[in-house]
Amino acid sequence: MIRETKKVLEECKKIQEEYFYFTAICEEEALLQAETANDPLRGLFVSVKDCLCVKGVESAAGSRILKGYQPLFDATVIKRLKDAGAIIIGKTAQDEFGFGSFNTNVGLNVPIPKNPLDRERVTGGSSGGGAGLTRKASFNHVAITESTGGSIESPAAFCGVIGFCPTYGRVSRYGLISYADSLDKIGIMSKKVSEIKPVLEMISGYDQKDATSLRAEVDFTAKTGKFKIGIIKESLTKGVGAEIRKKVQWCINKLKDNGHTVEEVSLPITFAYGIPAYYIISTSEASSNLARFCGLRYGNKTFNVYFAEIRSQHFNEESKRRIILGTFARMAGYRDAYYIKATKVRTKIIQEYKQLFQKYDVLISPTMPVVAPKFSEVKKMTPLENYLMDILTVGPNLAGIPHASIPIGKVNNLPVGLMANTDHLQEGKLLEFLQIIEDLGDDSP
Amino acid sequence: MNNNFTAEIVIGLEIHVQLNTKTKLFCGCPSQGSSEPNTRCCPICLGHPGSRPVLNKEALQLAAKFCLAVHSNLASQLIFSRKSYFYPDMSKNFQITQFEEPLGAGGKIFLKSGKEIGLIRAHLEEDPASLSYPLSMKQSSYCLIDYNRSGNPLIEIVTRPELASPEEARDFLNQLISILTYLKIFDVNNGIIKADANISIRESGYIRVEIKNITGFKELEAALISEIARQKQLASEGKKIQQETRGWDSNTNTTHLMRTKETEADYGYIIEPDLPIIDIDTEFKEKLQLEIPELAQEKIKRYIRTYQLDPVDAEVMAMELELAELFEKVIAQVKPQLAAKWMRKELLRVLNYNKKSIRDLKFNELELIELLTLIEHHKISDTTAQKIIEELMVKAFSPKEYVAKNKLEQISDDSELRQFCRKIISENKTAVEDYKSGNDKSLNFLVGQVMKLSKGKASPQMVSELMKEIIK
Repeated sequence: MIRETKKVLEECKKIQEEYFYFTAICEEEALLQAETANDPLRGLFVSVKDCLCVKGVESAAGSRILKGYQPLFDATVIKRLKDAGAIIIGKTAQDEFGFGSFNTNVGLNVPIPKNPLDRERVTGGSSGGGAGLTRKASFNHVAITESTGGSIESPAAFCGVIGFCPTYGRVSRYGLISYADSLDKIGIMSKKVSEIKPVLEMISGYDQKDATSLRAEVDFTAKTGKFKIGIIKESLTKGVGAEIRKKVQWCINKLKDNGHTVEEVSLPITFAYGIPAYYIISTSEASSNLARFCGLRYGNKTFNVYFAEIRSQHFNEESKRRIILGTFARMAGYRDAYYIKATKVRTKIIQEYKQLFQKYDVLISPTMPVVAPKFSEVKKMTPLENYLMDILTVGPNLAGIPHASIPIGKVNNLPVGLMANTDHLQEGKLLEFLQIIEDLGDDSP
Repeated sequence: MNNNFTAEIVIGLEIHVQLNTKTKLFCGCPSQGSSEPNTRCCPICLGHPGSRPVLNKEALQLAAKFCLAVHSNLASQLIFSRKSYFYPDMSKNFQITQFEEPLGAGGKIFLKSGKEIGLIRAHLEEDPASLSYPLSMKQSSYCLIDYNRSGNPLIEIVTRPELASPEEARDFLNQLISILTYLKIFDVNNGIIKADANISIRESGYIRVEIKNITGFKELEAALISEIARQKQLASEGKKIQQETRGWDSNTNTTHLMRTKETEADYGYIIEPDLPIIDIDTEFKEKLQLEIPELAQEKIKRYIRTYQLDPVDAEVMAMELELAELFEKVIAQVKPQLAAKWMRKELLRVLNYNKKSIRDLKFNELELIELLTLIEHHKISDTTAQKIIEELMVKAFSPKEYVAKNKLEQISDDSELRQFCRKIISENKTAVEDYKSGNDKSLNFLVGQVMKLSKGKASPQMVSELMKEIIK
């Protein structure tokens, strides 16, 4: 195991030189784990998004303000994986605290990861490092990542891997450096559908350290057979690239050929109000979560340095933008109109999904409205254009339902992802469906 | 400004009480124990990134019990919120508290006088860390933070502005502490009670001044007296009282200005997303309701009604749970009026003298019952009884055996006492004549002489009765 681990670490270092997927490669810890690595996950190498606490390894959520911070404890997910024999190889790059869809909003002085298929292009975000590495790694690997509003789906689609996000509460968030607690979900990225289940089984289940973790039974077997599929009609409008829509249509035709039912469905509230509701709720929570980073105990200055000075110096632009946005949305006099209203919209969105799941096994849409853009293109985008990139992913994230992005081919040699959503706790059914999609193959030339 | 006020002085209180749970509100650290700084903390109460709060159910039960006991409406859901502000004592720069709906809404507490003081709300929240400055706050170049207290469970109780004097405020706190100890949700010896008070007077048109961070009820009364004097002085000089927040300095017994501009504090409350909303069902309420004991105010009424206790005795017996428990054990075998009188006048006198409380007593109800029975049956004199109580403070012993061993039994033999009386009557003719002509004091003198003769072993009551009978 040790020889194999050394080989893996060498490969990681090589990838890092060109693509910047890691914030830290934990060589020492990996070799130590290799000595005792056991079943059932023996031989599996796991990369971890930087926002997850790994004991003794710098865990900074991609931010300079947490530079050098080494948690005293393992996140529950990490503990369970280590106990199951997996080897943690390193922490992966992300947008600072998860604030981005391209992994370009990195912390100050943190390198930006590059798309594995075209280094001129973004990986997607915020879990860009995990997605890129999943695509590049030749060894037995999964990435543990996190999604708040699309942070697993976006990079998975742009990098051409599977990004799987379970039901909110399915996986304990203990040890996850929060973005927005009511939305944060830990998930998995992999090359093959079959690689997800054994890892998901390991990390799922009730944890007394996370009051929002669910006591639901951990069983991901499903035998739906022929699926009743809803294609979300708002996702096939002009805002989404024509080539991408074509890919999705190809997929729909194939599914129909195979005897599944596909019907058009509509999520009017989700598409009209999902983005504002998401950004109000997520920034309201994020701005309060980031309050603790004030230079008192985390950061590289001593405590009596004025909080504001530290925060001005060490947070990057997008973090500041979200702190201001979120603080505004929850200010007295505005909170009823923004924060409280957004929570009500969220309830309506959940109901909208729930209603469709009474009739359909799975709802599908493209994952992203575009293929991975170039860095130069992203630079030209306004913050609002940036936020609109999440139009297709915020819905399931707000509803807390299981969802995943899976590659369905390429446009201009760049991967396209299909997003599939199932009802709460129906991860088994989602995995079954993803397998069907994977088996469709790829029509790309 | 509220123009419905008519009272001379209007006071409202916001009180923070530390609940006596074993562990903190959101983590497993002990809420009491080592005072060595930063030894009772963990990633959760230190607010480490990635850590999360998990509710201590015991704290919910204790707080809910309080709400039920003061007839507050218990919320149907427990919702926590984040109250954001930056301060070095805050591990997360937000405090987990309740905002959307308090655990208890409304409610009332009765003062000694029977006056009802309305409550606005009672809610659960976490305590911040404590700051310690090497010098005064302004003079110190640094400050140290102790997170031992961080995350301790508090209930915040807000009263209506219905208290009309510092005495009433003090009495309110007294009644509150009585309720808390009866419910066994507050550790009177180690727990902390802190109050913020708002005060206004009629002369100013009720302009509200808030005083922050007063610890303990003697301090509260002193702070209020000082602040009212300040306001009245300003009013008498024709000066304007400003709406402001003041701090209390217990060393100088004065309040000082903290800030004048009372802008609406903006805490940017959001619902705490890490703590799921908990339903508080009727089953939970009913179960807790059964655990609420008879409280002091009810006991006082019952003592007066059932045992015809003197109202002052009844109040003293009832206010402190431990005394009330002792009293109720004792009166199973001793006449309640006698027990109350002796416990209030003598037992508490000796305890106060020794600066001790009921829980420090070295003896239990058995010794007390023995002693009071001796008194009840006139076996010992009051002087002897007082002496025994004093001795019992040092160590426990059987009063009965003590009396026998030291031959302290009162002379209850009629014939022996009659002899003593006759002797004194024959030796003090003038005093006897004085008494006959209506001077009652002379009788006391004669009884005193008999007592002396008996070396204190006679019962003054009996002697007095006999004297009257013989002289007649």
